[in-house]
Amino acid sequence: MNPAVHLDGITKRFPGVVANDDVDLAVERGSVHALLGENGAGKTTLMNVLYGLYQPTEGTVRLDGEPRSFDSPRDAIDAGVGMIHQHFMLVDPMTVWENVVLGNEPKTWGGLRVDGEAAREAVVELSERYGFDVDPDATIADISVGEQQRVEILKALYRGADVLIMDEPTAVLTPQEVDELYGVFDELTEQGKTIIFISHKLGEALSAADDITVLRDGVNVGTVAAADVTREELAEMMVGREVLMEPATSPQEAGDRVLEVTDLDVEDDRGVEAVSDLSFELRGGEILGVAGVDGNGQSQLVEAITGLREAASGDVRYRGESMVGKTRRDRIDRGMAFIPEDRQERGLVMSYDLVENGILGSQHDPPFANGGRLDWNASRDHAESVIEQYDVRPPDAEAEAESLSGGNQQKFIVGREFERDPELVVATHPTRGVDIGSTEFLHDRLLELRAEGKAILLVSSKLDEVQGLSDRLAVMHEGEFTGIVDPATVTEEEIGLLMAGESLDDDSVEGAAIHDAAGDGTDDAPGGGSDGADDASGNGIDGATGGGEGVDA
Amino acid sequence: MRNPLSPASLLEGASESSYVRSLVVGTVGVLAVLGVLGLAFPESLAGDLAGIVFSTSTATSTARLAAPIVLAGLGGIFAEKSGVINIGLEGLLIISAFASVYAASIVGVGNAVLGVPALALAFLAGIAASTFLAAVFAVVCIEFKADQIIAGLAVWLIALGLAPFMSTVFFGGVNTPNLGARVGWQYSATMVVLATLGSWWLLNRTAFGKHLRAAGENPKALDTVGVSVSKVRYAGVLLSGVLSGVGGSALALSIGQFVGAGETMVQGKGFIAIVAYLFGNYNPVGTLGAGALFAGLDAVQIRLQQLGYAVPDTLVQTIPYVVVIVVLALVGRTQIPEAAGEHYETEE
Repeated sequence: MNPAVHLDGITKRFPGVVANDDVDLAVERGSVHALLGENGAGKTTLMNVLYGLYQPTEGTVRLDGEPRSFDSPRDAIDAGVGMIHQHFMLVDPMTVWENVVLGNEPKTWGGLRVDGEAAREAVVELSERYGFDVDPDATIADISVGEQQRVEILKALYRGADVLIMDEPTAVLTPQEVDELYGVFDELTEQGKTIIFISHKLGEALSAADDITVLRDGVNVGTVAAADVTREELAEMMVGREVLMEPATSPQEAGDRVLEVTDLDVEDDRGVEAVSDLSFELRGGEILGVAGVDGNGQSQLVEAITGLREAASGDVRYRGESMVGKTRRDRIDRGMAFIPEDRQERGLVMSYDLVENGILGSQHDPPFANGGRLDWNASRDHAESVIEQYDVRPPDAEAEAESLSGGNQQKFIVGREFERDPELVVATHPTRGVDIGSTEFLHDRLLELRAEGKAILLVSSKLDEVQGLSDRLAVMHEGEFTGIVDPATVTEEEIGLLMAGESLDDDSVEGAAIHDAAGDGTDDAPGGGSDGADDASGNGIDGATGGGEGVDA
Repeated sequence: MRNPLSPASLLEGASESSYVRSLVVGTVGVLAVLGVLGLAFPESLAGDLAGIVFSTSTATSTARLAAPIVLAGLGGIFAEKSGVINIGLEGLLIISAFASVYAASIVGVGNAVLGVPALALAFLAGIAASTFLAAVFAVVCIEFKADQIIAGLAVWLIALGLAPFMSTVFFGGVNTPNLGARVGWQYSATMVVLATLGSWWLLNRTAFGKHLRAAGENPKALDTVGVSVSKVRYAGVLLSGVLSGVGGSALALSIGQFVGAGETMVQGKGFIAIVAYLFGNYNPVGTLGAGALFAGLDAVQIRLQQLGYAVPDTLVQTIPYVVVIVVLALVGRTQIPEAAGEHYETEE
């Protein structure tokens, strides 16, 4: 029998870059296939070829043995290939059924009226067949991210998709929602659908996929059955060398109290309370991890601490001094480093080169400021040293920030902030979009700072990252810490419960303590995990620069 | 399913915003109090005011004045829902007002071309002129990604200069001579009501309406399901041209003349139209209500002047703007489409 999808010798070249080099990929009908690789490995490019967004330079796309050629995603949809993007393509104020049928509305009255009843029935029928629990009349803005993802799947199914491509499907989900998604995979494959998902999380590929194909630098390194491969072997295939799977943390005495947050209330832009009555403290030589589904007040908490947002009430004390009313510059001067979550918005000025970006935040201070003028030679030396130490590519201080790939932008920001010689580092998603090798390096640098007695607040949606690095792990839900747990003993399920807003009773905390195979399920290589916004730039439809992924390689 | 044309579902979208309800209740309340006072004290100011508000002549002039406001407002909804903010409505009204009068004078009132009477041709000419200008605006904004606000202002300023200039060229003065024939208020009222209901249906019940909304809220979502965002946006902007063209022609033809002096006979009605649809929260029915209210205030003010009350007309004309500022400040957000004003480009 012919495979449902057969990519035969696909080569895709962009000017100056080979994103895919003679890649073969065969996916059996009714199976789940993971496409694993680091950022820039060419996964997304390959899927964009299958989805009709790119035409391959060489090679053939075959569906059920038939050679096909797609000029646009529309052709791919008509041929039964559906794509579920990492950033959902849903219209928030519209209902579930309106979104599902968008562009293919059933009509009555000679096209003058959308047949809402027929559309609703179709949605209900599809949901029942695949065991989804989705209310067709709910508004997208009101339903959870997991449900929104199911709406995206329904959209593809409604259009007759037989092959579903999912780009980083677990990036925005809680662990429980991830389990539900795997359940959905089972339902779909039982009914003969074929699923290909893009991932750079080893654990995810191992637990959800039947077969795994690893791409590295645009080349197919190999296809293996998930049952026959270990995590370490996969990591080695991805990176091309042996990878240290666990960051080497060593116990360390906490030092002086560096940050003390008391009864902090912070509102978001709409005036809704995003952080409520939060208190915690952070000592030197300690990493406090903050886990949680994005959008539960982490951003507002970080902004209140770093001075980008005024707290509604409560106090932030930094090395004994109240920060209320202190400006961002005051806080930088006192040694607070900040790695923002949106690097293009807040981390860099995209049209500046790296020399200029390298002194952002230090532009008032010597050696860069010199009697009201900027010392460009000192600035250039500084930028070059960051570039060299943090392996920013291309190593060109004159390059504009926007010409760098997301991962390299991130490395530059992290380098700039770490080299500030801070007392407190507030790091949000520090390795988002960074490949495994560089992630390993950034994690080591974080641990070095910790060893030097610096205090680190680490906010990340990568569970394995916060769990692996933190001394204490706080889980945030709707503006509150639902628990501060010991990352060494807590289980993934327990974190999932906390992320969903439930508290752990005493029994389960004890349970956590004796659970010695902690985090078995998610504890994948550093560098697994969501890579949110930046990956968009390589995602074809959704990206600003087509082929960004390729350039990243 | 609910009756699609029931009053409740007509206010769908707007009904959840309590201010629309308070607007209706408030207006009815003020009118009721005024009626009672007028009956009780017929000799007082209240008596005069009641006499004016409830007179037929006020009603008919409200209908005439409301036509350009409501029609341009409906057009503005289509453009903005699709993601293109069209603040050039004023210019579209001006150019269509002139073009309609010009066409009627060329054909000659009472004559007909191919059986189409001159006044109907005048409407077609007005619509054509307005739609042409809207098309230019659309190309500049969608194709060349110009700033929508600046392009919209340009549309207004071009029309503001061009219409009186052409009037001077063809008629020897910024004001055209009177045609000696006018379109009755009944026609304006009918067009307004039909356009409102039609727009409501188009926006809320057709596939095009859904696409329009998606184009303004999340264009990528529309693009990925294979509907061209540009086409939908062009359609939205061109519809604003068509509707404004009807409105501008109705305004000029209801008097039988184009007045090009100063800010022309349109006198900011295109801007009030924007206020009207914001006030109506992008709902055609709400826009009709708001447009009728603003036009009614204007009509009452004109009548009061005629009765010898020294009403400062310029001040009365600021009422819609003051109202919208108050409403926006008190209510906060209206349902401005998420991607309104943003350019969209397919990335392939």
